[in-house]
Amino acid sequence: MSFVVREGKENRSLTHKNEKCVGCGICSDICPTTAIKLGPILPIARGLLKTDFITIDENSCCLCGLCASSCPFDALELDIDGTNTKEMINYPRWTHDASIDSETCIYCGRCSTACPQDAIFLHRSLPEVKELVRGETEVDQEKCIQCGVCEEMCPADAINMDRNDINSSNPSIATSVDIDESKCIFCSICKRVCPVDAIKIVCTTCMERDEIVNPEIEGDIILDEDTCVKCGWCQEVCPVDAAEVTKPFEGEIFLRDDFTCKGESCHACADVCPCNAISIVEGKSTINPSFCILCGACAKACPQQGITLKRKNMNLENVKSKAWTSRLADLLED
Amino acid sequence: MVVVIDMEKCGQIKDCPGEGLCIKLCEQGALKEVDGELVLVPENCDDCDLCIQNCPNQAISNG
Repeated sequence: MSFVVREGKENRSLTHKNEKCVGCGICSDICPTTAIKLGPILPIARGLLKTDFITIDENSCCLCGLCASSCPFDALELDIDGTNTKEMINYPRWTHDASIDSETCIYCGRCSTACPQDAIFLHRSLPEVKELVRGETEVDQEKCIQCGVCEEMCPADAINMDRNDINSSNPSIATSVDIDESKCIFCSICKRVCPVDAIKIVCTTCMERDEIVNPEIEGDIILDEDTCVKCGWCQEVCPVDAAEVTKPFEGEIFLRDDFTCKGESCHACADVCPCNAISIVEGKSTINPSFCILCGACAKACPQQGITLKRKNMNLENVKSKAWTSRLADLLED
Repeated sequence: MVVVIDMEKCGQIKDCPGEGLCIKLCEQGALKEVDGELVLVPENCDDCDLCIQNCPNQAISNG
């Protein structure tokens, strides 16, 4: 974390939170006094250099806050007399957003697995197997020869052999067999494979179907706004349309025709992408626009400047200053 | 065509601000350290230019 603080008529402080920064360089592109320098983002993203993505020159920073207002990741904050400008009525506000409707969510966990920032936390409680099946089990220990075939074959991992103590003269010989009814699904495979017919299994699940309650999966799904980058993965993979994402920018991104992407030799673009939107396919960088937020980190990281992005619109509203409007327009396509 | 190292700008790897960053970045094994100095293995270079872009001494170029 780095700060620029100045006291005067107002007390202003600019804070950079590197843990939220992705190294896209929007701040350094937009800074009117060129006080912000973007560092070597690829070595930083690969963990080869331990330094912040940007450096702010305290002497040339005019604490205007344009960087804080234009950072889509909230990695920069300007406070004036202790109040964050993002909470002030005269400052711009991003309208990009991501949310998951817990009423619609079926707690399948696809979004949580897909999220490139690990920003989605899922907790779900599943019914126990024994609540969904009915039956009876019985092992005739007199008949049992402790061969272990049932234990090996049980698909529900419900059978355990009690073996001799490891220090006994013959530790591998089992002494008895035990069926765990909390795991048993009464499939009767053990009964069918038992060479001495020592196991009895009766499945009553079908007969008692009406008495068995239909399972309901309950859970909690939490989307951490602080780490979410609004990439759209959750929305794309959600099978019930419970996730909704508005990205920071709209537009397009493409590889220039006149350069040869070095693919697996380089993969700088894929390494810096905060959205997991880039992969190397058939030796060439492939950007999936469904997940791209047009932050531009890949374009900055490409050593051959082979990536072009054209932002057509940014979801930033309430820009009241004409000077800011014109400066922000530089981020968009001419 | 492969990259060209300006040995004067490069110097000894122990003095490199990136501690031999180019060697770590190049996954093709085209750059290695020999007796404390940077050595190019031309047959491994794929011209990706990652080293050029990230050298803190601006010691590597396309010639």
